[in-house]
Amino acid sequence: MSTRLSPNHARLVEAPADLDEFHRYVAERKWGDGLPVIPPTQDRVERMLRHTTREPDDLVAVIAPGFGAATPRRIAINAVMAGCAPELMPVLIAAVEAVAAPEFNLQGIQATTNPVATWIIVNGPIVERLGLNAAFNCLGQGNSGNASLGRALRLVLQNVGSARPGEMDRATQGQPGKYTFCCAENENESPWDPLHVERGIARERGAITVVGAAGTLNMNTHAKDSDDLLRVIADTLEHPTSNDYWIGGEPWIVLSPEHAHILARDGLSKSEVKKRLWERSKMRAGRMAAKDLARTQTGRTAELGPIDENTLLPVSPTPDLIGLVIAGAPGTHSVYVPSFGDTRSVTREVA
Amino acid sequence: MTESMLVYDPTAPSQNEPQQLRRSLEGLRGAVVGFIDNAKPNFQYLVDDVAELLTQKYGVTSIIKRRKRGAAMPAAEDVIDELSRECDLVITGSGD
Repeated sequence: MSTRLSPNHARLVEAPADLDEFHRYVAERKWGDGLPVIPPTQDRVERMLRHTTREPDDLVAVIAPGFGAATPRRIAINAVMAGCAPELMPVLIAAVEAVAAPEFNLQGIQATTNPVATWIIVNGPIVERLGLNAAFNCLGQGNSGNASLGRALRLVLQNVGSARPGEMDRATQGQPGKYTFCCAENENESPWDPLHVERGIARERGAITVVGAAGTLNMNTHAKDSDDLLRVIADTLEHPTSNDYWIGGEPWIVLSPEHAHILARDGLSKSEVKKRLWERSKMRAGRMAAKDLARTQTGRTAELGPIDENTLLPVSPTPDLIGLVIAGAPGTHSVYVPSFGDTRSVTREVA
Repeated sequence: MTESMLVYDPTAPSQNEPQQLRRSLEGLRGAVVGFIDNAKPNFQYLVDDVAELLTQKYGVTSIIKRRKRGAAMPAAEDVIDELSRECDLVITGSGD
């Protein structure tokens, strides 16, 4: 007689101890992301679980589109595979909870043909304590915490949520950010309140924000005047193939400290920057393809009233939906992160 | 034989198992059929043709079509309530 296991129960299986063979074993089962993973042995998973007070097999979240149960143990298993240090466990649990919030629209994000990556932004004193990177190359390679957190969340989405490429993950091409996409905000170099404070969390608390991000675009400008800077950033947001414009989305901008200081020096608050960008980035609907305009008319008429080719479309329903985060090191580069459109970022405190 | 080790399986069983229908349907004659319009531009052509087939060939009494705000969004609660109240059968997925 077979015993029926609870959907929360994680199975132990026998796998080859040799690392080359283990790599093949993982690839055959589609458990990884193509790169080698650390074997999730009981010892390693237990070490990870010591960093949460939650019961190992309790439910943290249900992950669409397979609606698999993400428990602390399953999160820990995927974190081990991704190479996370055990201290990162509470950050990852908060990120898993955040992606499952209804407004994030994980079902859409996981199954879409769009190239959507789940970007994690980390805030608060935990950034320094955990050694996360908010400065040089913070969206690139080199920092173990940034790299493994983003990677672990991807493995949870794929393994617990059953979103495997070509199966339930229908992305036409995907994007490199689907391997890993995580950075911290450079709060020390920001002239404004950090993201988690803007969203009502105390400055001394740790927090994460997850974003359904459709890519990154370098905005290299030596503008030294706030009006000139906002003009070229607003111009960059406008493009007729943007999900944000045809749906009414939530685009993000990673401002370099240098660009942020130009804006603050000229007396602009974060909300004033958002307002000016929102006004200046309105796009004439006629720039879109006819079929896309038809979709926009379906999706945004309730918000904007009748839409024709001369309608000026805002990139998001309201200015506050433009996300602003300060990150990076010295340099004249800010980053435009367009969103999936049908998604809203979610911030959660790290327990 | 190669040496082995015990590891955890990182996957979770999919809970997308077929669900038992709340009520069974003997046939389409006299039935009310609902469609959730996925908001893609060609949906109306597809559904109009299917609706004609259903009413003329299979005796369906009426068709209720309700549009989502966008293809990647779930249908609104009031739409789900209305369709589940009024329809004998709802087609919730469609191509374009």
